[in-house]
Amino acid sequence: MIDSSGFPGVLGVLEIAKNAFAHIIRASDCVPQHVAFIMDGNRRWAKKQHIEIREGHNAGFQSMSRVLELCYESGVKTATVFAFSIENFKRTPTEIEWLMNLTRNGIRQVIQNGEMAEKYGIKINVIGDKALLPLDVQKDIQKAELLTKDNHRAVLNICFPYTGRHELLKSIKEVIERVDEGEMDLDQVDEEAISNHLYTGTLPPVDLLIRTSGVYRLSDFLMWQVSRKGVIIEFLDCLWPDFGIRKMAWILLKFAYSKSFSYRDLNAEDGQDIEQAAVKKKVT
Amino acid sequence: MSKVREGISESKMGNSDTKYHDRSGPHESPFFANNKNAAKPSLQNLKAASEGALFMAPDNVAIQEKLSKKAGALSANSSRLEFVFYKVFLCLFFLTYACFRYFQYTVNKIKIHVLNIAYSPSNTPQLIRQDVLKLSKLPKRLAAILEIKSEGDVGGGVSGLINDGSDLVAWSVSAGIKHLTLYDFDGYLKKNVHEFREGVHHKLSKYYDPSNVPKFAVRVPQWNSVYYNSSSTEFNGTSTKKVAIEISLLSNRDGRETIVDLTRTMAELCTNNEMKLADVTMKLIDSELLQLVGPEPDLLLYFGPRLDLQGFPPWHIRLTEFYWEEDNDQVTYSVFIRGLKTYSACKVNVGK
Repeated sequence: MIDSSGFPGVLGVLEIAKNAFAHIIRASDCVPQHVAFIMDGNRRWAKKQHIEIREGHNAGFQSMSRVLELCYESGVKTATVFAFSIENFKRTPTEIEWLMNLTRNGIRQVIQNGEMAEKYGIKINVIGDKALLPLDVQKDIQKAELLTKDNHRAVLNICFPYTGRHELLKSIKEVIERVDEGEMDLDQVDEEAISNHLYTGTLPPVDLLIRTSGVYRLSDFLMWQVSRKGVIIEFLDCLWPDFGIRKMAWILLKFAYSKSFSYRDLNAEDGQDIEQAAVKKKVT
Repeated sequence: MSKVREGISESKMGNSDTKYHDRSGPHESPFFANNKNAAKPSLQNLKAASEGALFMAPDNVAIQEKLSKKAGALSANSSRLEFVFYKVFLCLFFLTYACFRYFQYTVNKIKIHVLNIAYSPSNTPQLIRQDVLKLSKLPKRLAAILEIKSEGDVGGGVSGLINDGSDLVAWSVSAGIKHLTLYDFDGYLKKNVHEFREGVHHKLSKYYDPSNVPKFAVRVPQWNSVYYNSSSTEFNGTSTKKVAIEISLLSNRDGRETIVDLTRTMAELCTNNEMKLADVTMKLIDSELLQLVGPEPDLLLYFGPRLDLQGFPPWHIRLTEFYWEEDNDQVTYSVFIRGLKTYSACKVNVGK
């Protein structure tokens, strides 16, 4: 790990290096606007290190803060993290309690003394079916959202507890309700309407998804947003607590490189039109 | 510091419009215009990147000199200097990455080549059967995203797409997979469904004894139609229901748009009081989409260089396992069988 080295001054140098890297990536003008994370592998990591699962979750939280810091520094506008799936309620009660506590503490930390929220002007959104959470957690979440609601530079979405299908269902229901109440015309029901009623409605579209721990699935996370053409999906083999700044930096570089040197993206519309025309010609 | 940052972003915007992009901007470079496949780095790509780096520095210094003559303010000057500094580093990074990428691409291509030699079905179902029998589990439903290639390429155009699709059908039949979903963004397969049926029949008769070609059904969920076998050997589905494989043809239309259509229909029913909002449940939507699009696949194969879901029906990729081979751009048996192997090794634990 980068910051586990004990030498004095090393941390400072790494900090400078990180900031410099963030500025360099910024200069490329090709930074993902919305990055989503599936933070998988905390428990496996704990088992591998022979420590308590709780410690694994803590390490995961640390890893998340570091990675997010680099992201925001590099100019990412929105980050969405998958903290807790509705399916996770199937886990043991003690573990659920740890996760609840961890999230609550995390949120508190971010508001109270976390410089991150202030430094980058982060607005915290907790998205998902919050009614399923214990009441005290709900209150804390409300507090956090209220406190950061005026921050506009960047957004952090915490999916807690969330599944993609619930989100879609919610959006569909809201659209139907609006039509039912006459606020919306039937012809106004389109892709955009559904997208806008998702939790991520007003935010920039997801353009990068990162999942750790070598699982090649979405596991019910942001399917609507990610199935769009052109979204880059990165699956990594490392466990989430091992996913550090260096790996994130590499992914950002890869993203910037492929976006700035890709023919398709620059002339996306024209290129496709030409291709389609060519194909059509052949068909007819 | 914050001022500096503002300055950077300002100068970034300013500069990017002017000279910097004119010289080294990728779209002006003829090298990139030639290079259609973004994921495919080439020596030319490298060269262009290095040219960018070489041209850029003096160019930007020139800009900076001009600007510094005009604007005397020290802060603006230093921020610009900083910006140039970052740009130079960015180019160095890109250059390094390009070298790495070129190396990686070559390694991947060699790997794919070797795998293609190692795994060859050579039109015999027995060989495929042998490969599959080693696996502990098979996906019940397999999906594949196919891409149409440009006319000029080998295996390009609609006929190439049909050929790729029928290859997949033949492999799936041989492997014993009963459901296959073929997705292509523009829906060329379903538009040419009859040609596709012929193609599949032709391919299957190569794999099997021509007198005993396995029966298949092609479903186009968008038009709610089912075709049995090729048109020459068509049989009435009701008399012999047993088919070796059912193929669904999907396109972008079956993705988000179908969900939108469903929402619109339900909204209409609600306004006419034929349905209540409370009736809209997960179960209802799931069963409707099962009707309209089909079941969720267990494994999704992608035959492109870098995973891109291209608007595949979002409701249906909840727990689907993805498999693709980095830098591969062909529909080959090695990707198919390696996908099945990876699938048989993976473990699904929902939530736990």
